Amino acid sequence: LHIPGSSSRFCLALAGAQALTPSHHLSLSDVARLQSLLSQPFTDLESAYYSVVGLTKLGAVIPDQNIPVSNETRDILLAAVSEDSTMGQIHRAVSALGSLGLPLASQEVIGALTARIEKEDNVMAITSALLAASRLSQQAELGGILEEIEDLTARLDDLGGMYLQFEEGLEATAMFVTAAYSLSDHVGVEPPLKEDQVIQLVNSIFSKKSWDSLAEAFSVASAAAALSSNQFHVPVVVRTHGPATVSHSQPTLQLLVTDVMSQPLTSANVLVESANAASSKSSILSQAPFTLNECVGIFEFNFMSSQPASGYYQFTIAVTGDKRLVANQVELKVKVSTEVAVTNMDLSVVDKDQSIGTKTTRVDYPSKAKSSFVADSHQYFAMAFQLVDVNTGVELTPHQTFVRLHNQKTGQEVVFVAEPDSKNLYKFELDTAERKSEFDTISGTYSLCLIVGDATLENPILWNVADVVLKFVDEEAPATIQPKTLYVPKPEIQHLFREPEKKPPTVVSNAFTALVLFPFLLLLILWFKLGANISNFRLSPSTVLFHVGHAAMLGLMYVYWTHLDMFQTLKYLAIIGGVTFLAGNRMLAQKAVKRIASEQSSRLAKYRSLR
Amino acid sequence: MSNSVISVISRFLEEYTSTTPTKLKVVDSYLLYILLTGALQFLYCLLVGTFPFNSFLSGFISCVGSFILAVCLRIQINPQNKGDFLSISPERAFADFLFAHTVLHLVVMNFIG
Repeated sequence: LHIPGSSSRFCLALAGAQALTPSHHLSLSDVARLQSLLSQPFTDLESAYYSVVGLTKLGAVIPDQNIPVSNETRDILLAAVSEDSTMGQIHRAVSALGSLGLPLASQEVIGALTARIEKEDNVMAITSALLAASRLSQQAELGGILEEIEDLTARLDDLGGMYLQFEEGLEATAMFVTAAYSLSDHVGVEPPLKEDQVIQLVNSIFSKKSWDSLAEAFSVASAAAALSSNQFHVPVVVRTHGPATVSHSQPTLQLLVTDVMSQPLTSANVLVESANAASSKSSILSQAPFTLNECVGIFEFNFMSSQPASGYYQFTIAVTGDKRLVANQVELKVKVSTEVAVTNMDLSVVDKDQSIGTKTTRVDYPSKAKSSFVADSHQYFAMAFQLVDVNTGVELTPHQTFVRLHNQKTGQEVVFVAEPDSKNLYKFELDTAERKSEFDTISGTYSLCLIVGDATLENPILWNVADVVLKFVDEEAPATIQPKTLYVPKPEIQHLFREPEKKPPTVVSNAFTALVLFPFLLLLILWFKLGANISNFRLSPSTVLFHVGHAAMLGLMYVYWTHLDMFQTLKYLAIIGGVTFLAGNRMLAQKAVKRIASEQSSRLAKYRSLR
Repeated sequence: MSNSVISVISRFLEEYTSTTPTKLKVVDSYLLYILLTGALQFLYCLLVGTFPFNSFLSGFISCVGSFILAVCLRIQINPQNKGDFLSISPERAFADFLFAHTVLHLVVMNFIG
């Protein structure tokens, strides 16, 4: 059970002055998963680098490799350190030279890195620069590169006050953290990250529990190693070992205090700064230390020795002992549970007009009353009892105190609530005349059960106290109550697929298709009879082009129907239509000229003939 | 009664065949063709129902549109109407007819489905 983050957010909302605590970290199973991902057999140099170095950071021991280096290799590496190589190349060259123990001109490297930062402004490049700088001599002037950490910090995106990450993703964020602490440790200057920012970075980096690539897994492993063992900020993760509940059988509150990789911080001092009852806010404890259980690395505190009443308590826990610790104040909600006992259970049947004396029967838990109680409309049934804490004898008022009456014959069940009075004495009265509607006026034997339950009770109670025979007036014929069929499978819904539209038989449609073509035949016959002909067809280029173009447009219509969409058609239409228009314009103009000429000549002939 | 109807019709047909120029008769036969095609489509729709409605509509609208455009052409090229259409030569009327048909066919083809 992991409580700190969520409860701290709740407190943050109320108090507004408390610091963040990590909501995500690498649990032991997460670390194991990371290790197994990094242990996969590697196929290329990059994977080998990620696997070997990643596992080393997580604490595995890799046997040393002896690699002979030739002069040429050294020269290649030294040549790579220049303004013209990419940042990644410079970083890898510097790391290789450093790991192989070869000499390196730090000032030259700084010059190349600074020049490169101007050209490659992205996050991964600057992170590589920071990592390269951390391999250089400590006497070199690394101040300029150190300032890049602050610039990069400004570029982080704040998500809801809980997460801080680069938009480039998890790998960039994790490598930035690794690089920033690596360089800061090397130079001995605290990185400009505020405590809240560190915790937000922790949340971002460790919220993802399965990693897509070896590079991503490597970056998370590097960040985990950096955050557990740098000189400045070590985030603390405080979780309870098991549920945060104490009781008489389990009086100690056990805490796991670890770093982000779930390694126990055994040298820390854990202290309860204050413990307040959640409901009354009264203080129970102040400045009480936890003791370290050496064999399991767990901090323990015996809360029951303070004899708290059952309920919820708000603990503020402080982890001290190392000034690097970040998020070392944690809020924790602890539950104290107890056992309840029912005492002084008195059952009686009281006469309404008090003419007959009341007879009270005492029943002890868990036995049942020997005789059943009879109540008709002139009487009412009464029950009184007390609920006490078994260990302290204090009276309790649990959340659930119900009285259930169950008719064995019909299966009917009626539940009432028993209320405590001012002296915490529970009373329950059943007036048969008043309550007959709840019982559907069905007379008979009802078994009476007392139900007691609460979150802080370890022993909820279901006790069949007695049998009660109720006699109602105006009784109807008892109908067997159908048990509520809420959870019985419902009748299956048959999906009604959309009926395809009724189509006419193919014969009819084919017949009409043929019929529709018939008028065209009629047209041709009529035109032939009228003497329409193409004898006036002048074979000029514009005429031919016009007719070809027109035929092409009609063809385009058909193709549009079968293959194309409107936009393509409009495109083709524009081309063909343009050509056809120009040709047609020419052709019709020629025809017009001819027509006007013939009209003029016929008019002239008529004029001449009249003369 | 029917006699007078028949005589009116036969007189009309006689006058029509004698006075109408051939050009207009060509257009008239085209109009008759369009009319018959449209009527047949409508009859089919009445018989078997409107599925698929978009195809029926596009076919019917094509007939109706073509009929209207042909009527416009006939009006415009009729030499007796020359006075009403001084700025529009018959060639221009025919070009308009073709352009309007292109647009009509584009719409009809889009809708035919």
